[in-house]
Amino acid sequence: MKRKTRNLIQDSVVSTVAIALGLIIIFPLIYCLCGAFKTPHEFLTPKLLPGSFTYVGNFKEALEKGNLLRYTVNSFIIALAGTSIRLVFSILAAFAFAYYDFKFKNLCFFLILGTMMIPADVLLATNYLTVSRLHLLNSYLGVMVVSFVSASQMFMLRQRFKSVPKDMREAAQIDGYGDISYMINVLIPICKPVITTLFVHSFIALWNAYLWPLIVTASSPNMRTIMVGITKLNSWEDENYQLVLAGVCISLIPSLILFVIMRRNMKKGGMDGALVG
Amino acid sequence: MKTRTTLKQRQRAKTRKKVFLLLLPIMLFAILFIYYPFIRTIINSFSLVNAKGIIKGFAGFDNYAYTYGRKDFLPALRHTLTIAAINVPITLFITISLALLANKKRKLSPVYETLFTLPMSVSMSAACMIFKSMFSPSVGFINYFFGLKLGWYESQETALAAVLILTIWMGIGFDFLLMLSALRAIPDQIIEATRVDGISPARRIFKVQIPLISPTIFYVLCTNLVLAMMTSAPMIIIMGVSSAASATNTLMSMMYQSGFSSSDYGLAAVLSISAFTLTLGFTILSFVFERRKVHYQ
Repeated sequence: MKRKTRNLIQDSVVSTVAIALGLIIIFPLIYCLCGAFKTPHEFLTPKLLPGSFTYVGNFKEALEKGNLLRYTVNSFIIALAGTSIRLVFSILAAFAFAYYDFKFKNLCFFLILGTMMIPADVLLATNYLTVSRLHLLNSYLGVMVVSFVSASQMFMLRQRFKSVPKDMREAAQIDGYGDISYMINVLIPICKPVITTLFVHSFIALWNAYLWPLIVTASSPNMRTIMVGITKLNSWEDENYQLVLAGVCISLIPSLILFVIMRRNMKKGGMDGALVG
Repeated sequence: MKTRTTLKQRQRAKTRKKVFLLLLPIMLFAILFIYYPFIRTIINSFSLVNAKGIIKGFAGFDNYAYTYGRKDFLPALRHTLTIAAINVPITLFITISLALLANKKRKLSPVYETLFTLPMSVSMSAACMIFKSMFSPSVGFINYFFGLKLGWYESQETALAAVLILTIWMGIGFDFLLMLSALRAIPDQIIEATRVDGISPARRIFKVQIPLISPTIFYVLCTNLVLAMMTSAPMIIIMGVSSAASATNTLMSMMYQSGFSSSDYGLAAVLSISAFTLTLGFTILSFVFERRKVHYQ
């Protein structure tokens, strides 16, 4: 009994400390949300809280004048299409590695895994030249084309496919399922949790990408993604921070929603899948 | 007999065709956008490259000599290494402490775990804009709250400090999650045994828990070193590349500047290859530790 109450006190103390620390950690986000509701005049006094949370002029101006509406649509198209293509490529390759034996299997496997050794930043300049030679600058395809390959996703999917019992495939074959229909009708539904996690991760990664979209869409302001767009809302001469913070808030909505979904998934036991990009 | 072998052969040919089609997309893009540019970057670093990216001849080590001889190279290298050297230990300390604090499952665990991991979902550019605003000398909250009058972006030290705070903040969420899952993977019997033996909590942390999660710690150490040495976005977004950027330039932001502002692809290639060489060892080590981490769990 005594130990129980002591534990209870200890737990509440630790919880309180942890929540206090947590609030400090997310302070930049709180600051961002508060700043977004300030009027330009209020922003001149560096207090944390705005007069009220009813002033939405910043959001309106960011979406209209800052062209963020267009950028949000751009980002959605790029993140959705890029993620889908990346997943399809990974599923196809993972299927080959999980179910077939063929010449140069190991070589191909390590060639794909080897891509993880090369940081994307190193390739920026040369990829820019390639994309410009293919006339893909300022296009959706140009922004997403460098992210079609994800070795870690392919690897995760192969591991998952391999854990599906062999009988399943034999049974499907007896039922007259070919490889493709087996993949679509049996394998993918079975592996849905992993695939969902990978999808969410990929979407966030592509949504959040900055440097490559910045370079590829440099000469066409209409093709910018939202992450590039929010950095163009201010300049040294015209700081406009309330506008910037409103833009940042808008850009954070999808990733925060997906983040919550991901956390829920992790609790269901998809932890292993949650740690790969 | 004869028909059987042909059937087998036909089947094998069919498999080969299928495998080829399955692997074609990923291999094609891996070669086109990862291996080709990588090899091309190495070649460019030894070549005379014009402003359109076309090779005009062999240059030997001229590009390297030119790059390393520039007076903005050493500061950029120094900033890159400084960011890595300060960022990594602080991140490790913060995330291990948070993970130890959150290790035991309590009623409110989901609340503070979510708070700790939330920075994970914030993009680099969004974080840069938030911190840029917070550190603003005139209207920023930091100066106001701490009663400072710092022009954060004016001097090299304070600008680097602002960048460091930002990059450390960016890393907290994910690394905390890794540490926490490693700590929770330690079998309960081990912790129970230390309690039975009457070992003090401090001893338990330093002699049992931290050694047991050391593969994860080394993994985080290596991946963070690589990430920190590749830092470029804060310099580009917050400082603005054109404006006296040498104050906080890193290798990668210098690469960005040379590649896209002045189209000097030889210089960009040398900087890319230098950063790659600097991080390669840690990248390989991170794979080693990731394996051990998985094994341990």
